[in-house]
Amino acid sequence: MVCSNAVHCYLLLPFTGNTLTKISNITGLLFILLICTVTLLAFYGLIAFSGQGADLDLLTDSYFHSILIFSIKQALLSALISTLLGWPIARALYYLPNLYFKRAFLSLTLLCFVLPTLVLITGFVSLLGSSGFLTPFMGEGWSLYGLHGIILAHVYLNLPFAIRSFYGQLQNIPNTSWILARQLKFSPWQKLAIIEWPALRANYALTFGFIFILCFNSFAVVLALGGGPQSTTLEVAIYQALKYDFNIGEALTLAWSQLLIAGCFFVLLYRSNSIAWLIKDNHLGQWQSSQSTMGKIILCAIYITTFIFMLAPLIALIPGVFAANYSVTVLMSIGEALALTLLLGFSCAILAMFIAYWMMQPIRHTLLKQQTSLHIIYQWLANHSLIAPAMVLSVGLYILFLPLMDLDSGGMVFVVILNVLMVIPFAIQQIRARLIQFDADYDMLSSSLKLSFWQRLSIEWLYAKSILVSTFALVLLLAMGDVAIFSIFGSDQLKTLPWLIYQYAGSYRINEASLASAILLSIYAILLLKLERVKTHA
Amino acid sequence: MKKIIPLLFASLLTSHAHAADSAQPTLNVYTYDSFISDWGPGPKIKTAFEKSCECTLNFIAEEDGVSILNRLKIEGTKAKADVILGLDHALMREAKKTGLMQTHQQSFKQLKPGLNWSDDSFVPYDFGYFAFIYDSSKIATPVSSLKELVNSDASVIYQDPRTSTPGQGLMFWMNAVFGDKTNTAWAQLASHTVTVTKGWYEGYSMFLKGGADYVLSYTTSPAYHLIAESEGKYKAAQFTEGHIAQVEVAAALNTSKQPELAQSFLSFLISNEAQQILPVTNWMLPVVKDIELDAAFATLIKPDAINMDIEQLSKDRKSMIKVWRSSAVK
Repeated sequence: MVCSNAVHCYLLLPFTGNTLTKISNITGLLFILLICTVTLLAFYGLIAFSGQGADLDLLTDSYFHSILIFSIKQALLSALISTLLGWPIARALYYLPNLYFKRAFLSLTLLCFVLPTLVLITGFVSLLGSSGFLTPFMGEGWSLYGLHGIILAHVYLNLPFAIRSFYGQLQNIPNTSWILARQLKFSPWQKLAIIEWPALRANYALTFGFIFILCFNSFAVVLALGGGPQSTTLEVAIYQALKYDFNIGEALTLAWSQLLIAGCFFVLLYRSNSIAWLIKDNHLGQWQSSQSTMGKIILCAIYITTFIFMLAPLIALIPGVFAANYSVTVLMSIGEALALTLLLGFSCAILAMFIAYWMMQPIRHTLLKQQTSLHIIYQWLANHSLIAPAMVLSVGLYILFLPLMDLDSGGMVFVVILNVLMVIPFAIQQIRARLIQFDADYDMLSSSLKLSFWQRLSIEWLYAKSILVSTFALVLLLAMGDVAIFSIFGSDQLKTLPWLIYQYAGSYRINEASLASAILLSIYAILLLKLERVKTHA
Repeated sequence: MKKIIPLLFASLLTSHAHAADSAQPTLNVYTYDSFISDWGPGPKIKTAFEKSCECTLNFIAEEDGVSILNRLKIEGTKAKADVILGLDHALMREAKKTGLMQTHQQSFKQLKPGLNWSDDSFVPYDFGYFAFIYDSSKIATPVSSLKELVNSDASVIYQDPRTSTPGQGLMFWMNAVFGDKTNTAWAQLASHTVTVTKGWYEGYSMFLKGGADYVLSYTTSPAYHLIAESEGKYKAAQFTEGHIAQVEVAAALNTSKQPELAQSFLSFLISNEAQQILPVTNWMLPVVKDIELDAAFATLIKPDAINMDIEQLSKDRKSMIKVWRSSAVK
């Protein structure tokens, strides 16, 4: 049975399925509309308050040029370094399948990517800050504050993403390629140029672009390690224009610039596919291209160095944990903050998964019906919050709702709403491929079997369960790490754990910051182990 | 009788909001974070004021003085505060532009005549002089002028002039000393600046951990180390160009539902009791005459004050910030 157009299809489907499919499509569209409304409301809040447009004089201010150049420079460098280092490390994982602690290493890469930035910064400050363990070895001019520190932190957070993405790509190289390479007696260089590089090429640009956007929009790292106007990004400048100067005109100009630049990259990125990086290690039993002993030693050295690099800032928390002041007040505040963090995180993750799933309905539908332009528009709208600065959305809503309600008590609602908005693109990116694959594999079949909407849904659940569960864990971890949104809507009485860490670190109570970081880190590790288990069982 | 009914209602409402505090009204005060820290004046001021006011004093903290003003600008008439505490005299003009400042009913007879205070909205509660603090066990001969500091290669931490009143003070200082060459001086200073922090507390804590040779603070900061820690190694560097003074001020908001309570808090701030507390908790100098100070205060440097035209400085503040932010780029 072939459906030539939507009307034809609906006629062939059983009535209930038809109606429910329609309803679920409409629900999905409503959700897309809803998240766009939130964004529009935020911009309305900013524009309506100031009663003026953007301050265009800023565009000729040398300050604006320098932060623009700095934003792009640090994002380019971070993306370049992450992807350049990611490749050899991915090769080490691929060519040396029997490495010790490889599963731990892969879990660690995942942990690094979702690690709350303030945990990392606490670790880096105790390692490389003004009185850090490693600072004496860093030479005279070393300072963690400024470009060095920002790039170091960004590479730490994004290198794991590059490694996982490239490793997944290498694993996709068919065995036959390697067998052929052996028969044709390819030199190592030929293998690299003819087999490996073509496998990575498309993915390389995508990974690079994704890391670029993440770093371009980075907030907490730059705020904590920026060290003044010489190293400020657009995102932090927006925050400063609003919170420091209360200059809405400038904030708008900065926000539009941010939207425009990140938007261009985003459009380029979304023309291609999403990156499957939550891969599981399915390497066993695959054909192995042999490496020379020297090659093996080099790859092994790369592996060990990376392992140490990733563990170092986490281990650096330990001395602080022992030296911390275990007073009742400190433990109470950490306990309360942890409870709030988990509560907010779970609310966000449940909502985000629910919304992301329904938003995928019209996206999948338009793909099936080959409505390409609608498909791209829906997808773009559903993902738009990846480039809309969290800071702009937060402050816009803050200004809009402040006269209407008591934000000191109702602020948490906005923390949840905005965090949901922020993690939705990640959720969609993860579940998209699997759901579209499901349609490609089973849509025809389930249509011809006249499966009801619910039957179809239950099959889909079985098909996509593992990716849905792991995505849930991912968005949970991302939402739990938020600082930017909380910095606007948070209050003195209610603090999340990352915010508490920020306050400890900000007042230089590194020991207490380390203790709180270590606790948050253990929660993350536990959740990640669960996540990995789900994936291996799936 | 007619008057009693609204009163009853008001007390019912407030008691509903603060069920635990019975029927006492709450006075909300916006201030900066170091004011309410355990070692700051907040807890002692609260205890002392609550003894007589039959109210609950509730501090709400921002990161620094300028942040309090920014919060007011966002909140406008919705501001929760009855009183704002912690702006400095250079921000008064900007604050009055919000239209939220209530005229006070205080008399200033007891104030030091040198302050020459006559503002009709703001009440001064302490004052001090900005200075760079150094560790004399590490630096034997400190720099003796702002020019020398800027031209040196000593590492420096200071605060952001957009958020922090000491940062703003340094900005006035730089402009007073360098005039139209301030932009190159900022650039010179940026080459040996460790970091520019958002608030005073953040920067000073970092300095104490060995983060820099000099940190921007007050001439009175060494008194804290002497009295609270019996530590004499921290000293303020005296600059030949003179120092910028800062008068910290408080004011009631005209949106306050309890104007009388707000006024009684303002007069409490310039009472002898509060003035005794402030020097040894907020580490600033009292504004009231004849307050007896700890002997440690006698060991502090006695800086010359640079003349400040507050009206002009308030007008130039925005353009000075623009110069700073485009020049302090490495």
